[in-house]
Formats: sequence, C-alpha cells, structure tokens
Amino acid sequence: MKKQWFAGLLVLIMLLLQACSDGSGSGDSPAAADKGGEGDKVTITYAMWDKNMQPAYEEIIRKFQDANPNIEVKLELTPWEQYWVKMEAAATGSALPDVFWMNGPNFMKYALNEMIAPIGNRVAADGIDLNNYPKALIDLYTYNGQPYALPGYYDTVALYYNKKIFDDAGLPYPDDTWDWAKHKEVAASLTDPSKGIYGFSAELWNQGAFYNTIFQAGGYVISQDKKSSGYDKPEAIAGLKFLTNMIQEGISPTFAQLSETPGHTLFESGKSALYFGGSWYQGALMKAEALKGNIGVTLLPKGEKRATVMHGVGYALSAKTKHPEEAWKFVNYLGSREAAEILGATGTTIPAFKGTEGAWVESNPELNLQVFIDSTEYGVPFPVSKLTSQWQEKETEILGRAWEGSMSIEDAAKQLAEEMNKILSIE
Amino acid sequence: MFGRNRMLGRLAIHTVLCFGALLMVGPFIWMLLTSVKTFSEAAQVPPVIFPSRVIWENYTEVLRVLPFDKYYFNTAITTISRTLGQVVLCSMAAYAFARIEFPGRNLIFMLCLSVLMVPGQIFIIPQFLIMKDLGWLNSLQALIVPGIFSAFGTFLLRQFFMTLPKDVEEAAKLDGCNHFHTYWRIMLPMVKPALIALIIFTALASWNELLWPLIVNTSPDKMTLAAGIASLKGQYTTDYPTMMAGTLMATLPMIVMFIVLQRYFIEGIALTGSKG
Repeated sequence: MKKQWFAGLLVLIMLLLQACSDGSGSGDSPAAADKGGEGDKVTITYAMWDKNMQPAYEEIIRKFQDANPNIEVKLELTPWEQYWVKMEAAATGSALPDVFWMNGPNFMKYALNEMIAPIGNRVAADGIDLNNYPKALIDLYTYNGQPYALPGYYDTVALYYNKKIFDDAGLPYPDDTWDWAKHKEVAASLTDPSKGIYGFSAELWNQGAFYNTIFQAGGYVISQDKKSSGYDKPEAIAGLKFLTNMIQEGISPTFAQLSETPGHTLFESGKSALYFGGSWYQGALMKAEALKGNIGVTLLPKGEKRATVMHGVGYALSAKTKHPEEAWKFVNYLGSREAAEILGATGTTIPAFKGTEGAWVESNPELNLQVFIDSTEYGVPFPVSKLTSQWQEKETEILGRAWEGSMSIEDAAKQLAEEMNKILSIE
Repeated sequence: MFGRNRMLGRLAIHTVLCFGALLMVGPFIWMLLTSVKTFSEAAQVPPVIFPSRVIWENYTEVLRVLPFDKYYFNTAITTISRTLGQVVLCSMAAYAFARIEFPGRNLIFMLCLSVLMVPGQIFIIPQFLIMKDLGWLNSLQALIVPGIFSAFGTFLLRQFFMTLPKDVEEAAKLDGCNHFHTYWRIMLPMVKPALIALIIFTALASWNELLWPLIVNTSPDKMTLAAGIASLKGQYTTDYPTMMAGTLMATLPMIVMFIVLQRYFIEGIALTGSKG
C-alpha cells in the first residue's frame, strides 16, 4: 500500500511539472514569441523599475500599439533593488529585454561590452533632433561620440524649505539670491536644539548632496577623459567642506543621527528647516501631513557658481534583440514628444523632451516646480565611468569617515582620489 | 524557603522569556500597526505607534494594485512542489549516504556538502543560463526545479539516519526487506521530527524567496508573493502602509502552517540538540 502511495506521489510531481511547462510554453515564453513569421505579430519586451510610472508607460504602450498593430510590447517591472542584478544575469545569458531603462552609473559598462546598441545612425535616419533634450542627458549617454539611448525623464536637485520654521523665526524664505554664506548663516540661526530642529541636513549622498556642492565650488568628480579623479582638487574639497562644516557646527545632525533617521524623514517631520532634495521627491513630500501647506522650494544656493546634478533615465536598445527594427520603433516613440507629454501629465517625473515639462510643473500648483526646469540651464551630468559602482562604494566608505569626524576632509578627499585613480587606471 | 526560591527562579526565567518573546513578536506587531497607518504616520519622526484612525483601505488598495490570487497560487504551487521534492529526494540521498556502502560515497558526500560552503549568489548567473537554455524563463518550473533538492536537507537527514540503531535495520533485512523497503517502511518513519523540520525550513525559504523569482521571471502572472510585493518598492519613495498590508496577507499561510506543525517543530529542534 505504502509503495503505491509513494509511486502516486512521484507521478503527481511529474504531472505538476508537466502542467506548469505546458502552461508557459503555450503563450508567453520568449521562445514562443520568436516563432512568428513575417507579417505576424512581433512581441518585444520593455523593462523598467519604477512602479509609480507604470500607469504612464501602460498608456504610452497602448498608444504605440494602436499605431503599430503588428507589434506587441510587454512591460516587465523589476524593483530597483533587484533590477541591475537581473539585468546582469540577463546580459550574461544574452537574454536582455529588447528595450530597457538605462541609468548613468551602469551605462558605460553596457556600452563597452556591446550589450546595448549605438543608435547614432538610426537617430540620423529617422531625423530625430537631439537638441530636443537637455544637453547634459545626451552627454550622459554618449560614448565614443555615439549616442546610446534616448533620454526619458530626468531629475535635478533644489532647495526645499519648511515655511513654518521660517515664519516662527520671523525670517524671509530662501530665494534665488542665496549663496552658501547666506545658507549657512540662516541655517545656523534656525537651529534650535531645545526643539530638536536643525537648520539643514548634510547627508552623505552623492546625487542629493555632495556632487552638487562640488560642482558649485567649481570642482569635478571625474575628468572629461574619465582618466582621473577630481576629489583631491581644492574646489572639490571646498564643496565637501561646505557640508561637513555644518555638521561640525551643529547646524546639521551628526552623521550617526542621519544614518539612523535620513534627512528627508527629518524634513518631513518638521525637524529640518532646509533640505536638498530632488525633483523626484516632491510627490511623496506632498503626502507628509505634518508639513501641509508649509513647503517651499527654490534654487540651490550658489557657490562659486550655480550647479545641480542632472541625472535621468535613458531608453536603451539591446544589441542582441531579435527584432531590432520593431524595438527601435518603440524606442523612437518613447523618446517622442507625444510619449513625453503622457509621462508629464501624470506628474510623476520631468519628461526629457524640451517643452513638455509644463504638465509636470502644473501637476503640483502648491510648489514652484519651475525651479527644477530652470536648473537644467546649469545642470551637470551625473559623473560616471566604466566602473562607476566601484568608486562610488569608496565614496561612501572614505567620505563616511570625514562625515563622522574621524578623519579630516582633506585627508579623506586625498585618499578617495588615490583609490579612485587606482580603479580608473584599470578600466 | 526552598519553594520560594524556586518561585523566584521561575519568575526570573519567565521575565527573561517574556522579554525575548516581545522582542521576537515586535516586528510583526509593527507591521500590523503600519499596515493601518496613513503614509505620513508611517514615515514620521518620532515614530507614531498607534495610528489616529485605522485605515483598512490599505488592504483594498494592495488587492487592487496586485493580482494576489495569482501570486498565492504561484507561491503555493512552488512551495508545495519544492517541499515535497526535497523531502523525497533529500531523504533518499541521506539514507544512501548514511547506510549504503558504495564506492566513492564519502567523496560524493563531500562534494554535496561543498555546495553549502559557497554563498548562494554565486549560482545565480549559471542557474539563470541553464534556465534560459531549457527555455524555462518566465515559467513556474524555473522556480521549482532548482529548489527541489538541497545539500542542507541531505546533510540534516543523514545525521539523523546515522543516529538510528543498526539493529532495526538488520532485523528488517532478516525479514526480507530490500534497501528501498527498509528506507521507506522502517527508517523514514523514525526520522519524522527531522522531516517536519525540513518541511518547515524549505516551505519558509521557498515562500519567502525574493531574488530568484525576480531574476528568472518577468511577467506578473508568473510572480510569487514576495517578488510581487517587492515591486511596490519605488526607487526613492515607498508606500509602506500598503506594502505592509500586502506583506501581512502574504505571511498568514506561513503562520497557520507554523501553528499546525509547531509541536513537531519543537520536537525536531529538541532532537537536533540532544543527538546532533
């Protein structure tokens, strides 16, 4: 009896496996999509990571499919934290999605290994004008003089402030005349330890903090030819110091405090008067009930000059796609004015196509979102090289010591430059 | 006097245990509370412990944005198949390693164990390539088959088989049992606590697995609960109350399983402790 039971179990497992494989074989495995002959429907895959933008892209895909009834686009969403692990596995197995979101830090790696296709010829053949996009974004995705992606959307960084804290102190709100000295002075006078309020939160965060101040001081992170680090230059050190000085003087919470409670949480809870935040932040910020009606935003304070880090997602075309024509057609549409307008209308992000930002700016009348668009004038591309993630790790590790105060900024910057140059020399 | 001391001792032990239990259940309670908060309550500093109003809408919201029925189905199929597979395959392998003499047995067992000595992430890309070559990307069997056998399970059960007295086996042999009969009728029932422990370990691991499903599968109708809920996480901001509502619903079946198997589970741990 028992033997029969066991045999039955094995049969059951086999049947189960069989059933599963039948289920997937019939419709949506990549292999099945390839079977379509000429004139049949072609299925291309499109990968992205942000759930918040999924509705906008579903709409864009619908419009695209209406105009191209022989192409079906399948949207694949993978959360940010697993997205690049997945892409790496897929790239190794030549199974990348046909079209997918690219970002700055990963771009060089995919371009150099010929995982994504250069699109210069296609852009020229279809008469796409790259001047339609902010230059910093085109530069970000250009390698060896060839563009590799059409810009999708971007973010810049600006200065958020808590109006209530300013009102209580009887001070005027920050505006576009502010420079570093003014920023520090006001932040100091707003700091009130008895209420647990800090003037500013100086986070150890490249895109949201120290890249901006390094550029504002006239420094750079990586040289134009991607061969050397700019961290040991006096300008970069000045940019870093602007932030760490505020920690030392108690205007900003300490590194330990900020590691426990990130700056944005402090700001949302009314414990930080000023905060450097990206354009991506405004939507979520509006949900912070403690700040209702008390949020303002303006340009980042000016250092030696004005600057903001500009970063954005690009639509890349897999070099190994089985349907290059159809996939390119979709990339082309994603980069079009029409698609940008759909994306902008949802208010989730700033579409990269110039002239379509209006809908995003109007999506939240409570804040003067125009400052994020105005910032593009002096936007600096997010610094990248082939091994971006490796030297970014060093940034966090070494600058962290300066942030916590166990090392001087000069020493940390010098050491970081050395480590980074080492990495750049093996690229 | 003596009785009183004992009372005090017990009191002390129970205080410590209660504290430990509270510590363990804390994250769960926090999840429960967060799942009925508003977004801003969930993100506030200092943290709000009790929501001002219970927001059940987080539950309807998560049911609206995610196809939970599909996720439950996929996760259940994956978990059941993997658990069954491991119980059957690992116990057979373990019995062979423990009791049957064959050439190269120790070498093969060492090789099997060596799988345990490398971090699992190393296998991701090779396994992905195998799945791709089999044409299994985006399928349920890609979730099931790689997890159907485990070196850990084999090791665990082998240690149990080793502790069983040889006499029973010899008696079975005299009565005319072959290897398979001895394994199936005599030995397997004796390692029941260990099997239950393996069931719980495997079921929990496969129920909660996150990275692998996200890597091999892309279409939403082939996702598991953990992977599906993770997609609620944005790059910069996450709606935690909705996510916690989803997570709570996802953990319920595991909690039920634990309650049902609890007795055996504790037995299993006790056995591992005393005889391991």
